[in-house]
Amino acid sequence: MPIATLRRMILIGLLLAIGAVLSFLNPSFLKLDNLMTLLQEASQTGIVAIGFTLVLITAGIDMSIGAVIAVTAMVCVNFLSYTPIPAFLFIPLSLLTGCLVGLFNGYFITHFKLPEFIVTLASRGILAGIALIIAVKDSDGFVSNVYIQDPVYLSFGGTVGPVYIVTIVFIVLAFLTQFFLKRTRAGTNIYATGANPAAARLSGINTDRSIYGVYMFSGFCASLAAIFISARMMTAMPEFGLGSEMDVIASVVIGGTPFTGGVGDIWGTVIGTLFLALIKNGILKLGISPYVQPIAIGGIIVVVVMFDVWYKAFAEGIAKRSAYRRKQSGEAAAAVAAEADAVAGGDGKGERS
Amino acid sequence: MSEKALADSPVALLECRRINKSYNGPMVLSEVDFSMKRGEIHALVGENGAGKSTLIKIVTGVTNRNSGEMLFEGRPIGIEHSKTAAQVLGIAVIYQELSLIHGMSVAQNLFLTREPRLPGLPFIDIGKMNSLAQELIDRYGFTLKATDVIDSLSIAQRQTVEILKALNSKASLVIMDEPTSSLTSTESAQLFGIIKRLKEDGIGVLYISHRMEEVYALSDRVTVLRDGRKVAVLEKAEIHPEEIIRLMIGRKLDDRDSVHTMRKSDREVVLEVKGLSSEGKFSGIDFQLHAGEILGIGGLVGSGRTELVRALYGIDPHDSGSVEYLGKPWEPGVAGSIRGGFGFIPEERRLQGIMGLISMTGNIGITNIDVIRKMGFVSDRKELDLARKAIGLLNIKPADPSVLVGNLSGGNQQKIVVGKWLIRDLKLLIVDEPTVGIDIGAKEEMYQTFARLAEAGVSIILVSSDLPELTRISHRILVLRKGRIIKEFSEGQVTEEDVLKASSGILPGGAK
Repeated sequence: MPIATLRRMILIGLLLAIGAVLSFLNPSFLKLDNLMTLLQEASQTGIVAIGFTLVLITAGIDMSIGAVIAVTAMVCVNFLSYTPIPAFLFIPLSLLTGCLVGLFNGYFITHFKLPEFIVTLASRGILAGIALIIAVKDSDGFVSNVYIQDPVYLSFGGTVGPVYIVTIVFIVLAFLTQFFLKRTRAGTNIYATGANPAAARLSGINTDRSIYGVYMFSGFCASLAAIFISARMMTAMPEFGLGSEMDVIASVVIGGTPFTGGVGDIWGTVIGTLFLALIKNGILKLGISPYVQPIAIGGIIVVVVMFDVWYKAFAEGIAKRSAYRRKQSGEAAAAVAAEADAVAGGDGKGERS
Repeated sequence: MSEKALADSPVALLECRRINKSYNGPMVLSEVDFSMKRGEIHALVGENGAGKSTLIKIVTGVTNRNSGEMLFEGRPIGIEHSKTAAQVLGIAVIYQELSLIHGMSVAQNLFLTREPRLPGLPFIDIGKMNSLAQELIDRYGFTLKATDVIDSLSIAQRQTVEILKALNSKASLVIMDEPTSSLTSTESAQLFGIIKRLKEDGIGVLYISHRMEEVYALSDRVTVLRDGRKVAVLEKAEIHPEEIIRLMIGRKLDDRDSVHTMRKSDREVVLEVKGLSSEGKFSGIDFQLHAGEILGIGGLVGSGRTELVRALYGIDPHDSGSVEYLGKPWEPGVAGSIRGGFGFIPEERRLQGIMGLISMTGNIGITNIDVIRKMGFVSDRKELDLARKAIGLLNIKPADPSVLVGNLSGGNQQKIVVGKWLIRDLKLLIVDEPTVGIDIGAKEEMYQTFARLAEAGVSIILVSSDLPELTRISHRILVLRKGRIIKEFSEGQVTEEDVLKASSGILPGGAK
């Protein structure tokens, strides 16, 4: 797919150029510490973005990811505050939160044929409320911040050597998901479901199963990110992750996965995530107000999508012109043949009156 | 070879006996017998509405028959047939709208859901998949690469992939619905080569086409349908284009109504088109349109008819040529067309002509904003008056302007589409397939409306596939073929047969 490859090259080039400019303007950018923090932040968004990419490939959207992070974090603090269950047992359990939400989303999308956006937006609202309800409260009924002290739990926010665990998990998850997408039948079915659901069904693909799968995986990824975020912050609040959809969508779109479905992959998302984290980090490093961040992200989304639309029309224009030239030469040959035919069969009927 | 033996075996590949089908009310198919042998190329022909598509839908399980027997390779198929069941049996359809997955390679499409996997592992063996696909492609002598992405292929190449997909799923009956309508002549020639290849492999090919020369050149047998009945099955030696056309139109030939006198209008020229061309759509179109004239435009689907009128109205741009309107140079453009007194009734009226969730008043008002404006705002009273006027003019039922257009019958929806133009000061009306999907009564009313308009001096350009309609209400007929005017019927007598022959490229005085 040379068009997609070229786009990716442009993005990587831009990534390196911005990095170079930043390190020139502020030498502390290149410090190992800063780079690792940048990667750690990119990884937290990136894990969620991997799940979101699969949803976009099926031409769906998942607005519930931010709220899944909130609820998962609340589930964890409940385990920590009220049960003696050790972290290595309840963490896998809490990851099921996201899977359950995905099951719920998938059910309403496939069974009732409701629009993905509406279903997941509704889930987002419901989950945001649930997060508040199950949040740990003080004696007056106010939400209290739980300080996480469990060493096993906190180790998720730690590092191996200079690299954060979340970064390692992100890279491994990216490899596995990319392999799954490209090298298994289930992965191929996800592309087919997004590209042309009618044709996919005609070919015998159970598109409902693909849809259930991607929403459950998206929920799982959001839950996984919740563990890392809360472990890193050493606390959890019920509004955790709400609003992070913006960063996730931006990463995936910058990475080149379109909203129309059937196209996209994890490498694009990884690059998009790094790109976004770099922009955010750069804004901080240049001493610009962090309030500018959302404006920059919004602006980048528009520019990238504009580029994609222009680029697509440009590429299609080239293809169309060459196809037309082929057609023209074919037609000319046919006309000559027809003329020869007409001369040969000269004894046809006369003109009708 | 064993294929030869199979082809000679007494059991037919497909056998349909006394198939009946009605959707609700009129019989679409009645007592239709149809049979196919292995390794046979069989053409199914008939006019629009003869029941070809319905028969195909029944065979492929898209819809179910009401009664009748169906046997595939000697095994009976129950009334409750389904698309999946048809696939399992080995019936494959090459759709006009291709059903390939974009963004995927040829190999991925060929092996979708049946990808070869690494031994003992759930992972796709991409190398093996590509080499198996390439083998299949080479076996049939195509010039495709297994790793080519679908999006980079031409329409003909995509069709090839569809056919390969059918072969790869071990289909023994391949159905092609107008496979050449979007192909160039070289591409069609390639396709015919493929079809012959399929025949050699003992696969039955059921072929639907309007193009007579193809039917003539390719088929072993031809089944002709007319008005939902089988009229004839022609063997190879009996296949002649003129005979097929005669059978398709049938009794209508004896009907005096089918001979119409063309009369060119001698009133002033309203529109003059010179050398109008648009890349890949139509080229070198010249004609004059007179006041009060109904100019029919015939030709097969895909001959460039719709594209031409869209360009005239200014929806799509053209590349070269010029248009003169009322004696002055004219640059087509939608807003200018409306101001200049053009009306346009599109082919897909549900899609392009009406807004189903809005009332009659709103639908009529939207194209006439300039008429119903009062100091810059829409005047509800004027809008309502306008709607009432249209209802009265066209006898729209129910006569309640507040009814949502989506709830009206097809015929009345069409009247709304027409009505919103008629209440304007119209000089030129372009209609594309105005009577598709509406009942006979509504059709008649529509024809009368057109005749009244023409009498009042409005020029009408009528694009239609309905031959009786075209020959009956037109003053003059242009026949398009492959984007060019191939024939003009402007004086003397014309029959449906003449138009159909011209559309199919069989010209009096020409070859064969």
